Amino acid sequence: MLFLDLLADGVVTGCAVGVVAVTFTMIYSTTRVFHVAHAGIYTVAGYSTWFLTTRGLPFWLAIICSIAVCAAVGALIQHQLYTRLARRDAPPLVLLIASLGALVVIQNLMAALFSPNILQIPADWRVLTVGIGSIRLSMPQILLAVSSLVIFAGLLAWSRYTSLGKRTRAVAANEFLAEITRLEPRRVYITVMAIASGVLAVPGSLTALDHGLQPYTGTLVLLTATIAMIAGGMGNLFGAFVTSVILAALQTTSTLVIPGQWSIAATFGLFVILMIVAPTGLFARRPR
Amino acid sequence: MSEPALLDVKCLVAGYGNKTVLHDVSFQVMPGKVLTLLGHNGCGKTTTLKAILGLNDRAKGEVWLGGRRVDQEPVSARVAQGLRLLPEGRGIFATLTIGENLDVVADRNCRVPDSRIGVQEVLKLFPALAGRLSTLAGSLSGGQQQMLALGLALLGSPRCILLDEPSIGLAPNLVERLFDMVREVCRSAGVGAVLVEQNVSASMKIADHVTILNNGAVVFDGSPDEARESNFWHFF
Repeated sequence: MLFLDLLADGVVTGCAVGVVAVTFTMIYSTTRVFHVAHAGIYTVAGYSTWFLTTRGLPFWLAIICSIAVCAAVGALIQHQLYTRLARRDAPPLVLLIASLGALVVIQNLMAALFSPNILQIPADWRVLTVGIGSIRLSMPQILLAVSSLVIFAGLLAWSRYTSLGKRTRAVAANEFLAEITRLEPRRVYITVMAIASGVLAVPGSLTALDHGLQPYTGTLVLLTATIAMIAGGMGNLFGAFVTSVILAALQTTSTLVIPGQWSIAATFGLFVILMIVAPTGLFARRPR
Repeated sequence: MSEPALLDVKCLVAGYGNKTVLHDVSFQVMPGKVLTLLGHNGCGKTTTLKAILGLNDRAKGEVWLGGRRVDQEPVSARVAQGLRLLPEGRGIFATLTIGENLDVVADRNCRVPDSRIGVQEVLKLFPALAGRLSTLAGSLSGGQQQMLALGLALLGSPRCILLDEPSIGLAPNLVERLFDMVREVCRSAGVGAVLVEQNVSASMKIADHVTILNNGAVVFDGSPDEARESNFWHFF
């Protein structure tokens, strides 16, 4: 049944976007930087996995290496760009423009190093499919959905139960108090950026395996993730993930009733209306 | 021979941008004693506390804690040595529970050999918090939030607490209770305190020493009785 196939495709895509939205939310709610260069990290993930697999590394090992690469790039951006600007009391707009600059540099660097054409990660098993009832999903799609759910649950558990996760939430809640109670906010920012960038390597690599990769594909993913973050309720990890899945499912299933080229506009139009009705987002915490 | 000062502030000069707010401010805090720092709005009380803790980039002068000079050290090192600030407003992590607030600060400040006040000690001091560890800190009443804030400032090995207008937004009976707690903690644990307050009458009740600032300079430094005798109200 076409509807179920489209819905499954949308949910899988939404899971990947959900990880982007959740990590983007983590970074924004902790550092207060609108880190659009996150899309660049997503791109770096695909290219580093492609590079390593074409040099003979098994795909799983390439992903592990990509996690390390992305974590390092994220930490580097925080340490060398945002921290330096923050020390000079740069306003949020300057940080946003710096982040945009970093995104453009990363994307163009990828295009210059690896070509702007579509590249395919070499893995024969990527064309294998698995049937679940009447739905057929490819192996990369199944891995993408499962890994995204595991990452999402892991990040929620990390944030709630680990001492570093609690420290991160404390820094997000009151940076000044965190500073004067020795929680070392600047170190927390770097750690959060490294974790958020590292886990992004998983959906970044698996999506590249499924669809191929180009230097600029991360931008649309981040746009969807940003809308999910806002529509889900700023700072709410659960809201960001669930809204990403809803958005992606709406995008794919809407092609049944409207032409494909209008699906993105129609979905985002729907969310504009939603934001007018519920400006704090679908899953915003109610004031007590 | 007189007891050495716990906190010795010498010739402190501080400001923002091109403006100098503090001019040669000096005072001493003795162990277990409360020094009340008074003055009109904008006279530099909060700037003094920030400069002592290292939060003012333009601060000059000397800050000695327990006989050791700390003014060249970063904020985290000063806090590690026992300087604590209870900031103006609510010094809590509002989106964390009471238990998480205490755990996260204790995790950084109580894992040292000389740690004297842990989470259990704070809960004994403030039993109202003990039964509500899973309650969100932001949903507490103003008085309970200030108790939690004071508890956070006490975790580890505090030697001198800087309290920036802790009475703001509290009912008069709560102010009195909070100040009694401050005095009790100082006396029992030998902790010094610098209390910056607009509520002059309440803060004078727990003061062992009074310092008054006017336009960033010390204009009075003496005991509460001397302050009353010198008609200190004309400084406000």
